[in-house]
Amino acid sequence: MFPELLNQSAVILIFSVDAILLMALIALKVIHRRRMTSHEGRRKDYLGLLSRHISFENHTEPITEPIAEDPAFLDALIDMRNAITGDDTTLRRIVNHHGIIQRQMRYLDSSWLLGRRLRAAVALAELGDETSADMLIRHLDDREPEIRIQCARGLGRIRWTPAIDQIVSRFGREIPWVSTRFSDTLVGYGTRATWPLLAYIRINHRFETEGAVLALRTLAQIQDDEAVGPLLAILAETSDLEVQIATVYALGEVGSPQALTALDSLLDSGEWALRAKAAGALGGLGDAAAIPRLVISMRDENWWVRRSAAAAVAMLPGGTDALYRALDDDDPFAADAAAEALTDIGELVSARRRADEGSRTEPLLAHMRSEG
Amino acid sequence: MSEQKKILVADDSETIRALLQTALESAGYEVDVAQDGPSAYELGSAGDYDLIVLDQLMPGLLGLDVVARWHEEGMEVPVLMLTGVDDDRTAIESFDQGVVDYVRKPFRIPELLARIRMRV
Repeated sequence: MFPELLNQSAVILIFSVDAILLMALIALKVIHRRRMTSHEGRRKDYLGLLSRHISFENHTEPITEPIAEDPAFLDALIDMRNAITGDDTTLRRIVNHHGIIQRQMRYLDSSWLLGRRLRAAVALAELGDETSADMLIRHLDDREPEIRIQCARGLGRIRWTPAIDQIVSRFGREIPWVSTRFSDTLVGYGTRATWPLLAYIRINHRFETEGAVLALRTLAQIQDDEAVGPLLAILAETSDLEVQIATVYALGEVGSPQALTALDSLLDSGEWALRAKAAGALGGLGDAAAIPRLVISMRDENWWVRRSAAAAVAMLPGGTDALYRALDDDDPFAADAAAEALTDIGELVSARRRADEGSRTEPLLAHMRSEG
Repeated sequence: MSEQKKILVADDSETIRALLQTALESAGYEVDVAQDGPSAYELGSAGDYDLIVLDQLMPGLLGLDVVARWHEEGMEVPVLMLTGVDDDRTAIESFDQGVVDYVRKPFRIPELLARIRMRV
């Protein structure tokens, strides 16, 4: 009797605790939703307030301290700054007058609340100026990855040149998610980041493959001609396959004819991945002089190299004619690669549309028919 | 201003709508707002506007599609395109469709107001 009663009491207790927890959860959700709705309402009001300040010269409607401290006001400021040109004097005056940058710097540096620190980092990334640069650099080592990302973004937005080295130097030791965003920031700096990136690669490519590869990918996006010479030197120096591949990719993206000879010689590499990347990069250079050598690579033993070479030929001036000639190549793999590349650039569709016996696309149709 | 001029502002960004409505009203215009392509088309078709400030990238219907519809219906509406699309092709296409002016985002309020004054 007694154990049965105990069991029943335990069940009732468990149900009661569950019910209380559920009610607490619902209450928290309701509170959160109300806070969000209230935040959104205030943000809208502040958008109107800021609009009036921007639109009316010498507008005197007060922006009180509680308003200036309200996170919804910060959001409205950021929205407004993104809508109109960044150097708008009225907004800058409001930000300076209310010490908004200084307040956010204080929060970023010393708040215990992660949400507040994160909001401060975002605010500084969006609204910060030279006065916040040192702090943003310091927080590139923040314990929170998202804060590190926002700090780099902020430094990039104000084009703070001394930060370039600081951001590059963290490539090798950052987690990929963060370092990729650092790379985006450096792309925003444009050619100003070229030499720091090259220096980083030269120094680190033997020890930090991942960092060097990311730096090379960043250079590929910046597409600065000045990088070609040093990239060729790195290519001659490195024995790391991943670094070689990333260098070749960067050379192709920069697209300087200076790289033709080096890339051409890589088509004889023992590594198929390097041969394929070199073929693709040659297509990016836009120089028809590469066509004869690429046509030879269309007979490569590796399928991906053949495909890359044919696709590269298609990108070059006169490449389409070369691919049509390759349809008659003695090597059936080369002919297939040519047919595939011609199909990719829409020649098959055009051949079928014309269905003209005498047209030059007939060999492609014939090839495709023979392939079934 | 002897007779109040009417302007429609169509933009999916709440910030842009708030800003332009305030700025234009402060400059003495009567302003209506639309937050997507279909409502811009409806308001623009029904109202007698002196100018329509139209965003290109709006949900439901692109700005240029709205302009094309008005043209198909023989409506002559002066449109100022406001767009975050930073490519010349969209600008050229806009002028080809008879848009009277084209402003890229982000923009300066005084410049935009000056352009509107020129047209209205």
